[in-house]
Amino acid sequence: MQAPSKSPLRISWQALFSVLMFGFMYLPILVLGFYSFNQSPNSAQWGGFTLSWYVKFFNDSRILSALSDSLTVAFCAVGISAIIGTLMAVGLARYRFPGKQLYQGASYLPLIIPDIAIAVSTLVFLAVIAVPLSLWTIVAAHTVFCLSYVAFVVSTRLVNLNPHLEEAAQDLGATPYQSLVRVLLPELMPAIVSGCLLAFVLSMDDFLIASFTAGGGATTLPMEIFSRIRTSVKPDINALSVVLMVASGAVALIAETIRYRSEKKRLQ
Amino acid sequence: MTSMADLTRLHLSRSRRRFLQTSIAGLSGIALSSCGWTLAKVQTDQVRQGASDELHVYTWSNYVDQELIDAFRSQTGIKVISDVFDSNETMLATFQAGKARTYSIIYPSDYKVSQMVKLGYLSELDHSRLDGLQNILPRFQKSVHDSGNRFSVPVSWGTTGLIYNSEKLTEPPTDWNYLWTHKDKLTRRLTLMDDVREVMGAVLRSLGYSYNSTDLQQIKQAYEKLQELKPAITTFTTDAWRDQLLAGDLSIAMGYSADAVNVINQNPKLKYVIPTSGTSLWSDTMVIPKTAPNPDAAYAWLSFMLQPEVAARVTERLFFATPNQAAFNQLPDTLKNNVTLFPPQNLLDKAETVAPLDKSILELYEKYWTKLTSS
Amino acid sequence: MSTKVPSESRPIAPTPQWLQALLLLVPAGVWLALLLVIPTLLIFELSLVPNIKPGDLVNPSGLGNYWRIFQSDVLNVIGRSLLFATGTTLLCLLMGFPVAYWIALLSPKRWRNLLLLAFVLPLWTSSLLRSYAWISILRPTGVLNTLLTSLGLPTLDLLNRSPAVFIGMTYSLLPYMVLILYASLEKLDRRFLEAAADLGATPPQAFWKVTVPQTLPGIAAGSLLVFITGLGDFINPELLGGTSSMTAARLIYNQFLGATQNWGFGSALSMVLILAVSLAIALLIKYGDKNASSL
Repeated sequence: MQAPSKSPLRISWQALFSVLMFGFMYLPILVLGFYSFNQSPNSAQWGGFTLSWYVKFFNDSRILSALSDSLTVAFCAVGISAIIGTLMAVGLARYRFPGKQLYQGASYLPLIIPDIAIAVSTLVFLAVIAVPLSLWTIVAAHTVFCLSYVAFVVSTRLVNLNPHLEEAAQDLGATPYQSLVRVLLPELMPAIVSGCLLAFVLSMDDFLIASFTAGGGATTLPMEIFSRIRTSVKPDINALSVVLMVASGAVALIAETIRYRSEKKRLQ
Repeated sequence: MTSMADLTRLHLSRSRRRFLQTSIAGLSGIALSSCGWTLAKVQTDQVRQGASDELHVYTWSNYVDQELIDAFRSQTGIKVISDVFDSNETMLATFQAGKARTYSIIYPSDYKVSQMVKLGYLSELDHSRLDGLQNILPRFQKSVHDSGNRFSVPVSWGTTGLIYNSEKLTEPPTDWNYLWTHKDKLTRRLTLMDDVREVMGAVLRSLGYSYNSTDLQQIKQAYEKLQELKPAITTFTTDAWRDQLLAGDLSIAMGYSADAVNVINQNPKLKYVIPTSGTSLWSDTMVIPKTAPNPDAAYAWLSFMLQPEVAARVTERLFFATPNQAAFNQLPDTLKNNVTLFPPQNLLDKAETVAPLDKSILELYEKYWTKLTSS
Repeated sequence: MSTKVPSESRPIAPTPQWLQALLLLVPAGVWLALLLVIPTLLIFELSLVPNIKPGDLVNPSGLGNYWRIFQSDVLNVIGRSLLFATGTTLLCLLMGFPVAYWIALLSPKRWRNLLLLAFVLPLWTSSLLRSYAWISILRPTGVLNTLLTSLGLPTLDLLNRSPAVFIGMTYSLLPYMVLILYASLEKLDRRFLEAAADLGATPPQAFWKVTVPQTLPGIAAGSLLVFITGLGDFINPELLGGTSSMTAARLIYNQFLGATQNWGFGSALSMVLILAVSLAIALLIKYGDKNASSL
């Protein structure tokens, strides 16, 4: 490989290979876009430009209701996680107590256990306590991994935080509550937001856990997409993917901008 | 997104090791201190009250479309939400996992009805609340699985067969054995259904046995014959072959006659054949589970679906054969004479209905199925 | 991970410390205990019941479900899952390293953040739709084969076979690998590379003697993440794999929501999957202690 001290504009084989890999990453997305404007839905030939799949998509009540179910689940799960996940991260950073290792271990388990195992165990648990499955059981199950991700991102920020900041506030007469809300929270906000975004995307994308914990009638977007791929694909699914990609691309950009700015601020 | 990198770093932290040690110790402790409990018993006595103007329907794909939902709504004011399954087994698995308690109407096949009745999942129908039950053809009223329609209302029937692209196959198939004799030509251009009973039944039949064989030797033989064909099979799918066949990715697919009429309508080069050695004659029904949150709406749906006009329009639009004589009479002649939809009697005579099997035999079928799909 | 906050330096607060601790830790703790720890223990118990379906009495009676794993067909499935996960890890490493190297060390500095973001952007879209896109590409009459035919080349039959699974899984996991390798390469001390060059090392020598050893922790971490995610992947084998792609995750799925219902066996398989993942991590900790102390 090249020594990096050479001119950055020199075309190395790594650069060519990287271009190829960028192509690999974007090929499926381009293909979906191609099909979404293509008149002939099943063939790889160009059959003329059309917007009819987008019209169909916006009139497809099943997809729209699945989208609203997914958003409900994601917002609720992320909302709960944002609060209790942040509290947990702060608590774990502050206190030592017997069983802390176990608590901490459990809080990171959802990050490593395969989704299918989480899905299966949650279904078994819900079956045992005979809770009727519904949209809210998905929320409960999603909150588990969402809160892990939020707590994880927040605790990496906590490590880098000046530990004396809060103490100073309390020395100046702030109550613990005040110092938490006025001093710690603003410091943690970028981390909480980026943790929430990560959790949100994962919740919107989860198929396995949702399909195991959903009650009849509760269908999230991934479940609906999966069922369509398994049964008969209607071409408006291509339009859906383009809309989703544009939306999540926008969210990703916002998230990265927030992270980038906060990191810049932190370094100053 | 750098959090991902942090995340992996986390895996390496030492605290994990201690955690793993503790949790393994904890796990083994708990396991020994267990007492008996019942797993996920479907509690038919606990009914959740649903919204009175909502009806959740659990059905096969292509059985309920937007037009039907709109027509029902304009007649009754009830909003229908439908979810789909692709085999009787997944439907029952979903039901037993407690995921089907919002459904007031389910569409099991006839042989699953008797199993669900035995398990005590279905509520007996109050015939005084149903109009038009007398229009059902006598042979569906006297079904061995639910004689007298005590628990189920037949909604469609059909056969299982082979749908092929007549442009790609110069020699048209006539029987199941075609798949084996033309294996080389069909390799990776063929799909079978994702349904243990239909696939095993078809192979049993091609060997000259019953679709519902309970003979261990015969079942084993069928499994071995199927294993022989496996390298040639693209996927096991009950529904997804439709797009692939239309796009030209497949030459032949095993499927239901209702789906066949549907794709043939889109591409007349596709043909449907009922294998000469015999096939399954299935019928799908509508039932009300005991857990139905909205039985009133369910009865309204059953009565609606029994209306001859509704049943006839559904047959014209979605192409599944109606068991309703009055509806049949209303169909245009092209459909009445469509042999895929309404096959001639001599072929029907050779067809069998899928029968419920003993638990041990069913487990044997499932064992071979797992073996087949796992290898 | 653990942050050391010297507790003795805390001033006396009006709310007792233990109460604050409870308020902070109990909500999430209860949630995790109820929906994660207890369920995991439950499936462990269930895994000791052979042939259980919903409605049956749970009566743990031995390791029958675990013995079943040693039957040839199940071993086959587990072997295939390991093969898919290992192959994907190697592919991701081979394809990801040059990309990460280029972005971190060779590309113009002000573009680096943007390039990295652009590379991982597809991660933010639905993974199901990405797999679905590969179906459209790899189908016998799909984009790839249409292209090959128009170039006069023979067509490729990849969909519904293992190559498609490898492609789909590599596609899904490559961005993670690049992210982690990038983080590791970015911290590479360039002075070592310069020193190596001054001492007359050829670029390949410098790469193998300096770059690789210094980024080994990143390579290990990336490989582990890709491996464990790949081991539990359900979507790619299910949608792209055809008849010969039953993996552990699919088999588990079938025991609960598929044609063959056996919750006990499914639980046993889940336990094995959890153990396999834990084992992979434990091995890395053990092996990584030597090299990864910097992490």
